[in-house]
Amino acid sequence: MRYISRREFVSAAATLSGLALSLELPAQETARPVAAAARPPRLPTAFLQIGEDDGITIITPAVEMGQGGHTSLPMIIMEELGGNWDRIRVADAPAAAIYNNPMFGLQATVGSFSVRGWYLELRRIGAAARLMLLQAAAKTWKVSAEQCTVGGSEVIHGPSGRKCSFGSVARLAASLPIPQNPLLKTVAQYTVIGSSPPRVDIPDKVDGSARYGIDVTLPDMLYAAVKTCPTFGGKLKSFDDSACKSMPAYRATVPLPDGVIVVAQSYWQARKALERVKVDYDPGRLAGLDSEKVSHLLRAGFDEPGIVARNDGDVQAALARATKRVEATYEVPYLAHACMEPMNCTAQVTDEGCEVWCGTQNPQAAQAAAAAVLGIPPARVKVHVQYLGGGFGRRGEADFVTQAVTAAKATDGRPVKLIWSREEDIQHDFYRPAAAIRFRGGLDASGNLIALECKVVSASEPNLGRRGGPPFFVEAVADAQYRIPNFHVTGLNKDLGVRWGFWRSVNHSHNPFMFEGFIDELARSAGKDPYQFRRSMLQHDTEGARRQLAVLDLMAEKADWPHPPAGHSYGISAFEAFGSFIGTIVEASVKDRVVTLHRIVQAIDCGVAVHPDNIKAQLEGGMAFGLTAAVRGEITLKDGAVVQGNFHDYPALMLAEMPVVETYIVPSTAAPGGVGEPGTGPIAPSLGNAIYAATGQRLRSLPLSKHQLSIKVVRT
Amino acid sequence: MVTLNVNGTDHSVEVEADTPLLWVLREELALTGTKFGCGMGMCGACTVLLDGKLTRSCIVPVGAVKGQAVTTIEGLSKDKSHPVQRAWIAESVPQCGYCQSGMILAAAVLLKEKPNPTDHEIDVGVTNICRCGTYNRVRKAIHRAAQGEAPPKPTTV
Repeated sequence: MRYISRREFVSAAATLSGLALSLELPAQETARPVAAAARPPRLPTAFLQIGEDDGITIITPAVEMGQGGHTSLPMIIMEELGGNWDRIRVADAPAAAIYNNPMFGLQATVGSFSVRGWYLELRRIGAAARLMLLQAAAKTWKVSAEQCTVGGSEVIHGPSGRKCSFGSVARLAASLPIPQNPLLKTVAQYTVIGSSPPRVDIPDKVDGSARYGIDVTLPDMLYAAVKTCPTFGGKLKSFDDSACKSMPAYRATVPLPDGVIVVAQSYWQARKALERVKVDYDPGRLAGLDSEKVSHLLRAGFDEPGIVARNDGDVQAALARATKRVEATYEVPYLAHACMEPMNCTAQVTDEGCEVWCGTQNPQAAQAAAAAVLGIPPARVKVHVQYLGGGFGRRGEADFVTQAVTAAKATDGRPVKLIWSREEDIQHDFYRPAAAIRFRGGLDASGNLIALECKVVSASEPNLGRRGGPPFFVEAVADAQYRIPNFHVTGLNKDLGVRWGFWRSVNHSHNPFMFEGFIDELARSAGKDPYQFRRSMLQHDTEGARRQLAVLDLMAEKADWPHPPAGHSYGISAFEAFGSFIGTIVEASVKDRVVTLHRIVQAIDCGVAVHPDNIKAQLEGGMAFGLTAAVRGEITLKDGAVVQGNFHDYPALMLAEMPVVETYIVPSTAAPGGVGEPGTGPIAPSLGNAIYAATGQRLRSLPLSKHQLSIKVVRT
Repeated sequence: MVTLNVNGTDHSVEVEADTPLLWVLREELALTGTKFGCGMGMCGACTVLLDGKLTRSCIVPVGAVKGQAVTTIEGLSKDKSHPVQRAWIAESVPQCGYCQSGMILAAAVLLKEKPNPTDHEIDVGVTNICRCGTYNRVRKAIHRAAQGEAPPKPTTV
């Protein structure tokens, strides 16, 4: 039985969900990974430009939203180029097919795809550019290129000791043919990859000079505030803006299908005018939906047929003969992204078309959205990518671009900056779907897991796999590395009409809580140590099993499993995510419903560690994102609308609650895996498993606050 | 017309007195380092100093600021040289960076009041939200700044 890969999923998503539209890609850009030698590298000058002053501009296809792509991708180019790292500057790529990620064919900074998708191609581009510089110098000197080497942004002619700077031959180099199959360094030869140079974006983030979408300022700019129907699927029936007309700064009210935009001379005036607009909505068909109903519908799905995603052996027969049977259901709620920078976009309609400024994870989707509003070809929309004040998947969408361009259509060519309120941001997100899983497990007389049946039900996340194929949302269940002789997984989508989206770590943000929680239950039922129980199911000789085992062993060693300090308990989980193998051990104690977090030990095998310091930052940050959700993350629905609206009722983790974290990287020469998202998933199962070890109470739903549990942190 | 002193310079701006200081800084004075996050004084992205005190500028009407010196992230130093900024760079604290202006100002004030803060004092003194989870590096950078050198006296903090 075949499990859908993330790559296939994203290709499907491109056509199904509007993640990106109108991608007219040359064949090579859409191709699945192909042998490097099968085609020449992409045009080097699209990715790096060297000035006569020796400054090197790297054009990055990954946007910077805190995951470090503006540093790690240039590192990969510079490794092969042999340029001087101190002379680089980084620019965001414009929307163009040449910047489509080789791994999944979209120009999108999503899915922890940036380093792993670009690792090979950027090395080839850097190597091709190095050869072109070298040949240009050799041509100038009338010597053989074989006698030349590069280093420190210079070409050196060995026999004569002559040197010239990259900048002095860059123009000639750019005119030379692109080498078809440049020789690449081996991992052992790396000097840049594996080091941790200071992230290039950091200096501008300590003095306020970094420019985010919300900071864009243009001459003659107007400001816009927006409010849309609180209920999902609601429509604007009518509006009355007569109370705004007396406000001197008020400019216009622009209706949307589901709400209104008010344009004014300043943002505050736009907000004040928006409050005066009387709006009448048709609340739509979801007006009666609430969280209890969502939960009921999810659980009803356990007895409905789904799509079979995995079917090894005969799970029913094995359950029937099992010595011990264990059954449990798990459930998680909807979640919002709550990026620190509320959604915003600046747009200007021009004679040529349109210009758009925003933080976006998907510049071509932004381009397509703007083009669709204006009925013009995407090529006439220029997208200026800015820093993102958090993305987490939310900024892969382009709804805010559609709104800003709609407003800009009504301002006679003046640019408009549209900014959402925090309330709009929380209540009109694309939510991490609520989901539930029913597990049935069977153990034999020796306590071995011989049967596991999983019924995964997701609220709103469509079956993004190939038509009729297994759904995407069984990820982190159906693709488990464990060898379970009789293993059956089905997925069922209960499409409730609530907007769903990609939330940092996507299905790995919640399925591991449920799956690794149940694995822990099985270990306890079998009377086995949870770490040894997991080890026993990873003894088969596959790359995945080997790598997951190494992660388990490394963190167990670092935490001195199974010997927590007196009065403390351990919880463990590990799995594959985004091409990496990740695991976490939580050390906790519980007293009076307060969970004290003493220590978090994380380990990852992410293949070649391109920027180890940033990998640690990502795992720690990902953990904090997951911990927030585990402790108190919950979007609830009432009367078809989101109840929460700001940080008072959708609270984030605070500094005082951030536990001590140790992060270990398994040394590896394998191709890189993702690092931005894997850290998010393991904290919830490990925390739940630690709470069970401490109290005997099994947590089968999130967040902790639902169970009258809170956390505190001890630093020793 | 409202007059205010920001980063040592006097300004007169044509805004309504109920306009939050945040939007005056960002839109009238082009000081965009101060960020909008929640609009209700909770997240701290809009943190500035009013006469040296930490203030959430999204809930302070500009009309109420009269006579007080406003310091924004742009006024902390001219060249990223404040000890907190240097520590922030040394510890690679920011990720997306959006909350960091407020974080840095909170740290600068904390260090002025408590030159060698305990972890508990850092917990109490830094209440800004960071969704990227940079908190442990924030803590480390504050300790680093404390151990490095005393914050210079004549600056705006």
